[in-house]
Amino acid sequence: MTEEAILQGCLKNEAAAQRELYNRYSPKMLAVCYRFAHNREDAEDMLQEGFIKVFSQMHTFQNKGAFEGWIRRIIVHTCINNLKKNKRFNESLDIVHAHGVQVREESVPSIVQAKQIVECIRILPIGYRTVLNLYAIEGYSHKEIADMLDIEESTSRSQYTRAKQMLEEILIRKKILTKPKEKTEWLVAVR
Amino acid sequence: MKENSFYSDDFEELIRGKTEQYKMYPSENVWKGVHSALHTKRKWFIGSMAFLVTGILFMAGRELILPSNHPALHKSATGAVADVAKPAVENTPHAPMANLRPANTAAATRHNDSDNDIASQEWDPAVAGISITVGHPVLSQSDLSEWLSHVVKLPAQAPDLNVIAARTPATDNNALAALTHDDGRGTADDGRATGDDGRLAGDSRTTGSEIGTDGLTAQNVIESLSARGAHEGRYARTNAALQTSTDNRSGVNGQSLLAQSAGASTRASAKEIAESEDAQRANWLHDYAMNLLETTPKSGRTYLELSLSPTVSYRSMGGSDAGADKLYPLGVNGTPPGGPNSYIDHRPGFGFEASGTILYRLTRNLSIKGGLQFNFTRFPIKAYEDNGANGTAATTTLQSPYGIMMDSISSTGMPLARSGKQTSVTVYNDYYQLSAPVGFELRVLGNEQLQFNLAATIAPTYLLNSSSYMLSSGYTRYDKSPAMYRKLNFYAGAEAFLSYRVGNIRWQIGPELRYQLLSSYTSQSGMSEYLKSYGLKIGITKSIP
Repeated sequence: MTEEAILQGCLKNEAAAQRELYNRYSPKMLAVCYRFAHNREDAEDMLQEGFIKVFSQMHTFQNKGAFEGWIRRIIVHTCINNLKKNKRFNESLDIVHAHGVQVREESVPSIVQAKQIVECIRILPIGYRTVLNLYAIEGYSHKEIADMLDIEESTSRSQYTRAKQMLEEILIRKKILTKPKEKTEWLVAVR
Repeated sequence: MKENSFYSDDFEELIRGKTEQYKMYPSENVWKGVHSALHTKRKWFIGSMAFLVTGILFMAGRELILPSNHPALHKSATGAVADVAKPAVENTPHAPMANLRPANTAAATRHNDSDNDIASQEWDPAVAGISITVGHPVLSQSDLSEWLSHVVKLPAQAPDLNVIAARTPATDNNALAALTHDDGRGTADDGRATGDDGRLAGDSRTTGSEIGTDGLTAQNVIESLSARGAHEGRYARTNAALQTSTDNRSGVNGQSLLAQSAGASTRASAKEIAESEDAQRANWLHDYAMNLLETTPKSGRTYLELSLSPTVSYRSMGGSDAGADKLYPLGVNGTPPGGPNSYIDHRPGFGFEASGTILYRLTRNLSIKGGLQFNFTRFPIKAYEDNGANGTAATTTLQSPYGIMMDSISSTGMPLARSGKQTSVTVYNDYYQLSAPVGFELRVLGNEQLQFNLAATIAPTYLLNSSSYMLSSGYTRYDKSPAMYRKLNFYAGAEAFLSYRVGNIRWQIGPELRYQLLSSYTSQSGMSEYLKSYGLKIGITKSIP
């Protein structure tokens, strides 16, 4: 089925088209949720809630951009809204609290490289992780992140800087990446 | 949105690139949650249908299983039990019945008239109960009138003795034949008539052909009264004269009774005359009921059947191997040889069917039938948890009516074969269907009590819902592709069963086979699946008046 046919079917609330859309995008979106969530179960809850929003707000899609990007934004906002309900998450956004956080390095599995990197991101403190996900991977600006998380823009910047440093250290320590002599030549250590 | 410096940072670009490659496959529960949240109307529809069907089954079951609430039957049962507890020597004839009797009935009037005119001076309560021609019971005339008034509107007054005498010879033989032919129904040896419980409703042996429009017949009434009279007779038979009179009358010869009556007028006492009068009237009533009343219509030809069948369901797969050459004429995607049955691991599973059917009897042995049936079909299949080692997607090709591949659906699913350390899982293919079977039923052997029947049906079937996994075109993965399932299908069914009549309900049990005539999948899928179910049908049937 073409994407146009799927969209038309979803607008008519046809279960088959909805299932097709779900099958097409749910793997990627679950990976997005997983990077934000505490565990897989939470990620699936976020995914479910996100897709319900996607289908129920399908009529608002304007065909101005990529459909995947539109879905992704809904999913990310759903994840953020879920995280904001968690008191620990709100506390972790405080820059003072984030300083002393220790990384649980032993939880990084050694399966495949993409998954390793994702798992390394997930072992970051939740505040760092969220800002890193939003800025480095999802492409939001610090201003947008500040608005989404109800924090100062400067806080977002500092959280991101620390998150990036911490992730680099972890990846190097895990020998997933090697630190180049010049900073623009990051190399993948494990293939 | 993104700050300009983003892509200048190789580290960020690397992280982003790697994380974009990562995919995870959600569990099926996620989709179920999404689907149920989006399609609440379907839930309401299914819930409403379930409520409706349950209500119909409840009402039908109540009608079939519980006794009738006909007021006359209630009267009969109540009166019988009450009278057993009281001897028939009360001055007011049968007080319990008098309480139940309508306030102003012709029967009551007639009873009073007869008391005044004939036997009022020597009315002996012990003799007040008279024996009707069915033999043993001792009953009052008012009871007979009461009972028969439920059956048909009797003449305002019983004919005088001359009229009875004139008519009796013409109908006497018929009456006698009816009584003697009727399998000893009214004899004193009838075990049911002398049963201890004395419940008339329970004793009723009403057959289908005897049921009147209001559920009562003259035969039924006479029979019930006989049973009741048997109990009362235990008290009333202390009167030796009455016993003698009763025995004499057991021959059911109106003419001889009339002769006896005439002779008695000259030699017997007034008491005996009164007895004869009563006896003649009772005989007339019986004669009237047996021979002059309009014949009650036979039971209808229409029957209601409710059944439940636990089933074992299975399937046979086919398709893509047979059409592989057509499907992939250019070798677009190689289909494994040997057909899908060589690759799948599936086993029979338990399901059930519930149906309500109307039967119409064309002849004594042949009936046609039609109704509604709900089918739940399930069978387990074996697959393996997905860890990405078997590829990432299941591909279902879509083909034209000429077998040419037109398009394909790529989706996630579970692999069929183990690859590495994968855990096997058992998943279930579930189908919920509503069908409307029509067919015929043939009685092969047996009598009215026990029968052996054969039946065959064909049923257009609508797929209400399914939760099932479809084999991908390459036989590598199972996938849920609801769009590929055929909504409208046809089933053929055959059954053989024994039926046994208990009261006015016929119970039946026997094996059945149901086979799906069209593939579960649409022709686009290139695959085919034919479901078949073996079941044990248990049902009840009752005539619809």
